[in-house]
Amino acid sequence: MDADVTPNILPATNEDTVGPYFPIYFEDPELMDISRLHHGLVVGPEGTPMILRGRVLDRHKDLANGVLLEFWQANAKGVYDTPDNAGHPDLDPWFHGYGRIRTASGAFEFKSIKPGAAVGRAPCMTLTIFSDGISRIVTQLFFDDEPANAADPLLASLPPEDQGKLIARHDGRTRDGYEVYVIDIVMAGEGETPFFDDLAS
Amino acid sequence: MVTRDQGRLLQIGPTDNTSDQRTPRQRLRLIPEAARASFVPYAPARAMIRPNEADMTRIAPNRPRAQGQPIEVSGTLRSETGRPVAGALLEVWSANSFGRYTHSEDGSGLQLDPNFLGLGRIITDEAGRYAFWTISPGAYLARPDIGRWRPKHIHISVTGGSSRLITQMYFPREENNASDPMAILMGDAFVRNIGQEYDTPDRDVDQGYRFDIVVGGRNATFFE
Repeated sequence: MDADVTPNILPATNEDTVGPYFPIYFEDPELMDISRLHHGLVVGPEGTPMILRGRVLDRHKDLANGVLLEFWQANAKGVYDTPDNAGHPDLDPWFHGYGRIRTASGAFEFKSIKPGAAVGRAPCMTLTIFSDGISRIVTQLFFDDEPANAADPLLASLPPEDQGKLIARHDGRTRDGYEVYVIDIVMAGEGETPFFDDLAS
Repeated sequence: MVTRDQGRLLQIGPTDNTSDQRTPRQRLRLIPEAARASFVPYAPARAMIRPNEADMTRIAPNRPRAQGQPIEVSGTLRSETGRPVAGALLEVWSANSFGRYTHSEDGSGLQLDPNFLGLGRIITDEAGRYAFWTISPGAYLARPDIGRWRPKHIHISVTGGSSRLITQMYFPREENNASDPMAILMGDAFVRNIGQEYDTPDRDVDQGYRFDIVVGGRNATFFE
């Protein structure tokens, strides 16, 4: 029997490339900055506001234009807003932890709240990349000022030389109080970022 | 669900320069079980839809129909276990009948159609069903240097809870299907991404295409 086929399981639709023209029209400002509820409001998510600034680079270290980036993270107390956690006392009513941006140039800046450590984990953000030429790829990003990195099971699963490729570097604070972290994502070739297989795992 | 002892090695789409530049060369890494659940984004339910987006054959009611063949695309969204995914957001985009996108970065110079935007959003119903009307898109010359075309296709992005998929619906009997880089990578499974024709005698479109979507992997059901 084909290893991909399990009885009573429907064959999946093939993922396909997003192509170069993911519609800018589908942008949702409320998913592009999840560090606050909405401008003009004094209530919003708890935690340390953060800017994750980075570049998505191709095999030639050129910026990968037109990519769609999706972020997923726990709130400041380390709780993910999932069905499993419904009713959890540490859920933040103003923070769902899901963000999406399309970058025309390949450089990006995503505003959020710095995630807390989930149980057994270092603080991290899950990153999904959709790009022309490939189907969905996923990884996780960490922060260089977190001692918990040393015991994180995902980082520990990587060879030492690859671990640093997932760790964003703290790079100061903006005047309005956002801690800045920077990272480069290398899609292919030398210095390639480790990506993970959420279909086979 | 199927788990394996090593991650996939992604393949590069033949004749696709961007695929060559952007496809990771290393095998994807397996996710340790202790981190597995954290890899499943759970998108909040958000309805960002303007009225009449499910009819992409016009830019607004009472406006003329766009040029080309009006079609209906419909189907059901399910997980691999057959569970319908209700309330999911489908974001749909495609070229017009001349092969031109309204996207500001489409520099092809192909003809625009003032009556076609090529953008629509639909929410699946309680049974996971969806339907939209659009214009059958044109194929376009993707690689003039080697004469390779992109076959007719409609992009569909699915976001619903933990289900996440971006795919394309292709059309039956299109001569350019066989040379498409992504279709080549899909191999025999490409047939799943082709809409199945049906008649639409009672509706104001020329042709229907059934495109049932199955979101694969453990993510889609949040480890049910």
